[in-house]
Amino acid sequence: MKGRVLDDALLLLSESDNVGTTVDDLGSGTEVDFDGRTVVLSENVPFGHKVAVESFSAGDEVRKYGEVIGTATQAIAAGEWVHTHNCESTRGRGDRAAAGGETA
Amino acid sequence: MGQSFSGYRRPDGRVGVRNHVAVVPTSVAAAAVSSAVADDAGAWARATPHQLGTSQPDAARRQTERVLAGVGRNPNVGAALVVELGTEDITADAVADRIAAGGTATETLTIREAGGTAAALSEGADRLDRLNEEAQRARREEADVSELVFGVECGGSDATSGIAANPAVGAACDRLVEAGGTACFSETPEFIGAEHILADRCVDDETRDKLLERVDAREGMAELMGVDLRGAQPTPGNQEGGLTTIEEKSLGAISKGGTTPVRGIADYAEDLPVGGGLTLMDTPGYDVESVVGKVSGGAQVIAFTTGRGSTTGNPIAPVIKVTGNPKTWEKMSNNIDVNAGTVFDGESIDSVGERVFETLLEVADGRQTESEHRRLEEFAINEIQPEELEAEAGA
Amino acid sequence: MSVPSVTGRTFEGVSRDDGSIGVRDNVLVLPSVICSHIVADRIATRVDNAVSAPHDHGCAQLGADNEQTRRTFLSLAQNPNIAGTVVVGLGCEEIQSADVAGELESRNVPVRELSIQGVGGTDECVERGVDAASDLVSSRRTDRSDATIGDLTLGIVSSDLDASTVDVADPLVGHVARAVVAAGGRVVVAGNERVVAHSEAVRETTDETARDSLDDLVARHDGHPPRATRVGRFARKRSFEEVTRSWGTRDVSEVLAYGERASVSEGLALVDAPSRFGEATTALAAAGANVVVHVTGDGILAGHPLVPVVKVTGDPGTAAALPDDIDVEAANADADDLLETLVAVANGERCRAEEHGLTEFAITRVGPSM
Repeated sequence: MKGRVLDDALLLLSESDNVGTTVDDLGSGTEVDFDGRTVVLSENVPFGHKVAVESFSAGDEVRKYGEVIGTATQAIAAGEWVHTHNCESTRGRGDRAAAGGETA
Repeated sequence: MGQSFSGYRRPDGRVGVRNHVAVVPTSVAAAAVSSAVADDAGAWARATPHQLGTSQPDAARRQTERVLAGVGRNPNVGAALVVELGTEDITADAVADRIAAGGTATETLTIREAGGTAAALSEGADRLDRLNEEAQRARREEADVSELVFGVECGGSDATSGIAANPAVGAACDRLVEAGGTACFSETPEFIGAEHILADRCVDDETRDKLLERVDAREGMAELMGVDLRGAQPTPGNQEGGLTTIEEKSLGAISKGGTTPVRGIADYAEDLPVGGGLTLMDTPGYDVESVVGKVSGGAQVIAFTTGRGSTTGNPIAPVIKVTGNPKTWEKMSNNIDVNAGTVFDGESIDSVGERVFETLLEVADGRQTESEHRRLEEFAINEIQPEELEAEAGA
Repeated sequence: MSVPSVTGRTFEGVSRDDGSIGVRDNVLVLPSVICSHIVADRIATRVDNAVSAPHDHGCAQLGADNEQTRRTFLSLAQNPNIAGTVVVGLGCEEIQSADVAGELESRNVPVRELSIQGVGGTDECVERGVDAASDLVSSRRTDRSDATIGDLTLGIVSSDLDASTVDVADPLVGHVARAVVAAGGRVVVAGNERVVAHSEAVRETTDETARDSLDDLVARHDGHPPRATRVGRFARKRSFEEVTRSWGTRDVSEVLAYGERASVSEGLALVDAPSRFGEATTALAAAGANVVVHVTGDGILAGHPLVPVVKVTGDPGTAAALPDDIDVEAANADADDLLETLVAVANGERCRAEEHGLTEFAITRVGPSM
């Protein structure tokens, strides 16, 4: 596997990432050691989903694969599940253009 | 290197890994007859039914015609029957001529001339028998792995796709390209958010500009329709599988093509080069239409990665299903050929890539894939829509 | 020609809970996405009285297309010819089979649902689908009732504007359409190219309550080239009177979006569907048509899985070329003959397309695949 697995629980695909991917279904309270820091899951997170390994303010970039995959839509604490409820794409947003009256 | 497989060498020099007789309707008006005539004949006859071609705007019709000719010219096709009602914009003769230009044995069937459905089914059966006799003269002979055009696709993705299955198939693509073959991946909407990485790998400015322009055009469709791309990408299954945004999906998706330089980008269903290295194709992300684009371009074998468990195949090219999700493998191994979920137990990407590559050679040699075994042969042609034609005209 | 007599023309139909009359009594196996359509086909093939509706949609579409595809699914399952529906999904697609089934259940439609990923693969899905479809077939209601042509919702698609269609076949169909409306029935017609090309004239004879929907229809196509290119071109060259001869009446009671169900109890409804046969007939079935008349100069010969399709041609060459596929040659028939054929087919007699068994099913689209 590319990247680094933390505590057999979270896969960090690139060192600059601020989210990790679960390598199994993880329960709330699971503790993951991240370079001496402990990230505690604040909710159940299913296999393949993302967990914040740092805290985010609304508008912060979310990084996976060493690349930006979206922005946080609200504050996210380390250990929280990161998904469509608190992270959104910045691409293909015809809805925004339509709301702004920019499309024909 | 110097790995080989056994295939059917065609008059145009390309090598097929199957020896099907294709039954190609020029329009929806001949689709049902084509399917029926192929079904009655047996597994060697493969219909490609579709819903287009009676009366389309010019650009859309040209694309339909290119796909139909490309399907018939695919080296997996030993002979082709082209079927029309007899009043279509796309004529059977025109499609048949393009197929026969490569040396493929071809016949046409016009339903109106035959005298209707029942008569066309009976005449079609006779013509198919003759074509099959012709096709059966071909014998497998040794061919070099560099003669393979390997199309790769992903569908029903989840987070494991970008971590396990796609990089593993990418490793197989790297092996093939190193050996001199062609690997092709497509699905332009799934370049969005990762196009800078692909652009950096393009061999020249022309390829880079074309790539970026195609990504803009696909992204622009969401704007044109005044909606959020999230209505289509990522899909509900992608999201349930942990993929949050199109950027995340794309970054995982592009790894299925491996790591070699991008040598070109073909239009939908345009001919893919043999011995061409890594070549992209501009297709929608809609799996069935995308696979058909690459098969029309000449891909003999497709690898299709899936996280959630897509089961689709293709009538002309064998489709190798690869999953990186251990749970999907456990649940749906009847529909999947390669388990890449072993990456989560510690198998290296390279080692899984080697298994994918070996499977590719075995399938090229004739081993049936799960979707072939079950005759899962989904087929659809991407239709250029009025909005796209207008966007092009306005550009 | 005068309006044909309707007295004595009755047939035996299947009464549905909503008061509509089915002329067939089949179970629909509906794939929610292209990826499950082969499984749906295999299920339907193995069960008597089951039909499948394979299509290219259900995923990788945007906004209006998703809504349209979903709306079409829901309406098709409520077609009076359909006794119950098995919705078959893959599992990861945009239009989720469970969601479609849930919505149908809330509309009191007998429904079963399964997905390939949910049951663990295609083999298992076919087996369970066969069980579900057989179950729905055996729990069909058997009540038959005498019905009249006033119980018909007659779908009409005239898929070209050749001279033989406009001058010979469409007028014949128009007479029958008028008879159905006069008897208290409904007529639903496809062919939005005709409406768009003559929108001002259509507006004048459209009921006030339907004018907003008509304006919406016209706006949806504003500036877009028509999907049926040839019909679109000819519709502009021909007069309003010429392109609407198959409608029977020009008093439009309702204008429907693609996939929408007709709500008027009688009269003429226009459907926003192109003249392409498969796409049009699906929209007519969604609107509630229990039987369809297809006017074809070309001799397009496929039927449709949900409704019997009576093929009418005005072209003697087509009638001669396809003697076993054309039900009525307009040049040699009057309105009574066509009405008689329709009533016979409504009564259970097989139309030509049902005899050879080949069907075409398609859903139209708004934008491109993503």
